[in-house]
Amino acid sequence: MQFFGGSEISPSPPAPTASGNNAHMIYVFNRNGVCLLYREWNRPLHTLNQQQDHKLMFGLLFSLKSLTAKMDPTSAEKGNLGVPQLPGQGCSFHSFRTNTYKLSFMESPSGIKIILVTHPRTGDLRESLKYIYNLYVEYVVKNPIYTPGTPIRCELFNTTLDQYARSIA
Amino acid sequence: MGREVSESCVDSLLTEMVSSYCDRFYANKPELAARRIEAIGFQVGHQLSERYTMERPRFSDNLEAIKFICKDFWSELFKKQIDNLKTNHKGTFVLQDNRFRWLARMSIDPSSEDGDLSQDNSAPVTENKAAQATSMHLYFPCGIIRGALSNLGIPCAVSADISSLPACELLVMECIRLYLLSYAHCIAFISTARYSFFSQSRSSCMIIVIFHPCISERALRFR
Repeated sequence: MQFFGGSEISPSPPAPTASGNNAHMIYVFNRNGVCLLYREWNRPLHTLNQQQDHKLMFGLLFSLKSLTAKMDPTSAEKGNLGVPQLPGQGCSFHSFRTNTYKLSFMESPSGIKIILVTHPRTGDLRESLKYIYNLYVEYVVKNPIYTPGTPIRCELFNTTLDQYARSIA
Repeated sequence: MGREVSESCVDSLLTEMVSSYCDRFYANKPELAARRIEAIGFQVGHQLSERYTMERPRFSDNLEAIKFICKDFWSELFKKQIDNLKTNHKGTFVLQDNRFRWLARMSIDPSSEDGDLSQDNSAPVTENKAAQATSMHLYFPCGIIRGALSNLGIPCAVSADISSLPACELLVMECIRLYLLSYAHCIAFISTARYSFFSQSRSSCMIIVIFHPCISERALRFR
């Protein structure tokens, strides 16, 4: 996985159709499970309160990652189920799709997990997630006022993210 | 000229410098932290101006020196020039940069939008905190300009103002008038000193010599 970016934001991957409301919501977690960012653009149903929602999402992805690594038919050595894995160790899980939504996932080597929930007919979003990670590095990590490990409250990041999410096919 | 350093490296170093001085070394004493950061900038500006004026002839007047800062010095540092330079022709210059590189990625808390009356007092407080946090990061460039100009022979005072991120305005005030005023004070003191310490002429000489540099230092720091 390549995570190197230039000092300017690299141009976003071409979006074939920009029909506005494809992205439903986004979660960004750090390696300790702290939810750094939660933004929703199109979520008709709220079932749990915020804290439980975040914990559920983090737990789900943690379990999915270890399950997929354990069930990998091509890897020779497998750890026991439930052993925490380093990012990039084992196989990497990208997305799952149901009849109502598609969830795409990306984990950076530093443990930042980006989860994007979109319309089910969305294509492969790996490039988009890499672009969002690049936005995170440029506008959050390089923000002199931001303290790492705390929820993200940067206006620049929020506006750029909203703008980009509207253009995801 | 010379070697290259990654820009993110420099950005992170400056961020960490400001945050260590403000939060650890001089916690609760923002004026002292600001002074220190500005002094570091002074040293840096002093040495940088030495480098960048190596092959140039002397500057004919102060305006030429300020134009050098706006064009060549700023492009060596930030790869762009100062966008707007205003002067009142009496020794005050305003340098405006519409997209200051070190502020380009800074953004503050989006303010809460509830119109609760009881929270009216908190809004200016949070604005003040944000303004203070952002202004701390401008003391370093102010010091750089002050150091560069003082190396070119122009003692001055520099202050900064952020109107809207990422644009900022740097105000350069030359201390010539203050310098002359304090020089007059010094001469008056010398004449009285000679009269009152007539019997101890040697000590009066010492007092004069020691006092004079102190006055010029004070003139430089006077804002």
